[in-house]
Amino acid sequence: MFKEISTMKRSFMVLALAGGSLSLPASAEMDTAYYNDHYCTTCHGADGIGSEGVQAPRLAGMEPWYLKRQLEHFRAGMRGMHREDFQGTEMQPMAAKLSDESIAELVAWVGSWEYVPTPVTLEGDAEAGRALYASCSSCHGANGEGSPTLGAPALAGQNDWYLVTQLQNFKAGYRGSAPGDTYGAQMIPMAASLADDTAIRNVVSYINTLGR
Amino acid sequence: MKHSVSRREFMNLVSATLGTGALIQLGSALSLLPMTAQAASLSLATPTPGKGKVVILGAGISGLTVAWELTKAGYDCTVLEASNRAGGRVFTVRSGTVIDEIGNRQVCEWDKEPHMYFNAGAARIPSTHRNLLHYCKELGVELEMFINESKTAYMQDDNMMGGQRIRNAEVSTNVRGFLAELFAKCYTAAQLNEPFTEAESETILGLIRQFGDLDRSKMRYTGSARAGYVSGGFLEHGVQKEMIEIRNLMKSRLIGSTFTANEGETGPMLMQPVGGMDMVVQGFTRKLGDKVIYGAPVVGVQVKEDGVEVAYDHGGSRHSIAADYCFNCIPAHLMTGIPNNYPQDYLASMRSIRRGEAYKSAFQAKTRFWEDEDIYGGISWINAPISQIWYPPHGIHKAKGIILSAYNFGGGMVFTKMSQEERVEAALAQGEKLHPNYRDVVEKPVTIAWHRMNHMLGCSARWGSGFGGWTDEVQTLFDRLQQPVNGRHYFIGDQMAYHGAWQESAIASAHWALKDMDQRVRSMATQA
Repeated sequence: MFKEISTMKRSFMVLALAGGSLSLPASAEMDTAYYNDHYCTTCHGADGIGSEGVQAPRLAGMEPWYLKRQLEHFRAGMRGMHREDFQGTEMQPMAAKLSDESIAELVAWVGSWEYVPTPVTLEGDAEAGRALYASCSSCHGANGEGSPTLGAPALAGQNDWYLVTQLQNFKAGYRGSAPGDTYGAQMIPMAASLADDTAIRNVVSYINTLGR
Repeated sequence: MKHSVSRREFMNLVSATLGTGALIQLGSALSLLPMTAQAASLSLATPTPGKGKVVILGAGISGLTVAWELTKAGYDCTVLEASNRAGGRVFTVRSGTVIDEIGNRQVCEWDKEPHMYFNAGAARIPSTHRNLLHYCKELGVELEMFINESKTAYMQDDNMMGGQRIRNAEVSTNVRGFLAELFAKCYTAAQLNEPFTEAESETILGLIRQFGDLDRSKMRYTGSARAGYVSGGFLEHGVQKEMIEIRNLMKSRLIGSTFTANEGETGPMLMQPVGGMDMVVQGFTRKLGDKVIYGAPVVGVQVKEDGVEVAYDHGGSRHSIAADYCFNCIPAHLMTGIPNNYPQDYLASMRSIRRGEAYKSAFQAKTRFWEDEDIYGGISWINAPISQIWYPPHGIHKAKGIILSAYNFGGGMVFTKMSQEERVEAALAQGEKLHPNYRDVVEKPVTIAWHRMNHMLGCSARWGSGFGGWTDEVQTLFDRLQQPVNGRHYFIGDQMAYHGAWQESAIASAHWALKDMDQRVRSMATQA
């Protein structure tokens, strides 16, 4: 059922996290000190590798400007307010509590995580997806590398199940319809041009071949 | 020697008396309880010298059980707990407790008194859960009775009796009366199939009459004092309540709860630890001391040929620990986000498990208003998302109490998706159908959406596509995940039992893993 092409290889180095303000308390007694805004890893996995069990995508290696924009969009209710965008609605209340300073700190923390390859879980027709990807490439780049200038995040190396969900959400208007989400709004017609779930699966299978 | 009636004889008798339909129902009722063996005596072997290092991932009940049993056997145990408290879904809320829901952190501001607490997760201990009771005894956890069913509690359904609240006793008495009359009317046919002597018939009809409080001569149900009096009873003759026609009661699907909610694991009398369910957790952690490391999220698991290497964050830096054995009760859906080298089919099993959605909430009650309505413990049922209101059986006649204001065990997402304000308003709006002055007498709400609790993100694991969806495919996935990786890494917790959401399930899974490990240790010792 699951085909894992890339294997995760991680060595267990004892490494200090960047920045002293990020440290966790040493014992259970430091009760209030324990609580901060560093909830990301519960859902998004250790060092942000993504977790399929929670359907929370990889954050490790994500562009800081994109992280910041999405956190701000979630906070403003421009993303994650549609009831059918289930994972988005899980994220939204978390972001709603954040201050500007907190977002800056979180982006710095998350930005410190090194990219790790995501496992391939999808079986689709990558060859058929190549043609479909042509319209994506104008913003997201021929190799799915993304474009800060155009405000388009990298797609290569993102969890394939996450890309599928987001394309489905854009297509249905669950994401990108909120006033103010201009980048999201651009995605709606693009996703709508993908005829059905098979087309979505195929284009994401092609993105899987782009590597990172 | 006394002749005892065998189960088969009993079933035959019921079949003859009440018909096959009753037989089928009775059969399922009798097998309602998963049988628990006598509290397991594990008698684990002492570790092979130099091979006794064990790391336990997660300080839930299963992890604590493993740590305690292996410590007693002479192993060197370390428990890594991501949050700042042990217990997992064994969680008691009281004054000062932080409810670490992602995006909705709450701090409990209830009066600081021993009886002012709320068991937000596990809350009841049946007398058949021998292993949990064994640990309560061993660890000195004082228990008291928990009252699950009160005949004076209410039932409310907008579809039934114009939406008015009805006492549990009125529902059950009238339903039983109807059923008994039905049995009596069918008795002649039953007698034809299996002739009874006149004396036997008299006994059986007496039983039926007693079951439903039927009229002695005509065997008809016309109401019963069991439903309670309208007035009088002691110095004036009691005025019996009018009987309620079954036609009116059966408009609600809840009425069966008056029968099923007082049997088996939800029997009328259960147990709870004095002072909160987390006394069980404290019983374990008192023994384990600094073997439990808090604020230590696991960030990597590598299973080797002869052991397991675990990476975790603690105190602002990354650490690693090498052990001979690893027992892991991290929820499966969180484990998929932690780097590991598990076999693909093992991981696939983890990915197949869905997150449970149970939701609970509670209020501080300014007065124990339920006691003024003859209610001392038990549950009121309502056909609304809050589903139940629980009255505390402890702290009787004290000034205040903590009342459970919602327990949605199947579809808690309806609350989880709401803001805190919406959750509270829903609990008040639904609860005031059971207690008209509810809004004025409760305060300081606390909500527990297990699906969003930090380090948890779900209530009891859901195998298969839904409740009762246990297929051969699911069985294969379960069996795979129960088997250890390399005989070194065990996946445990109530997620690894057929009957989840009980502490007994977590302990049973821990015991299964311990016995399996012990066999391997013994066989390796023999070979060496």
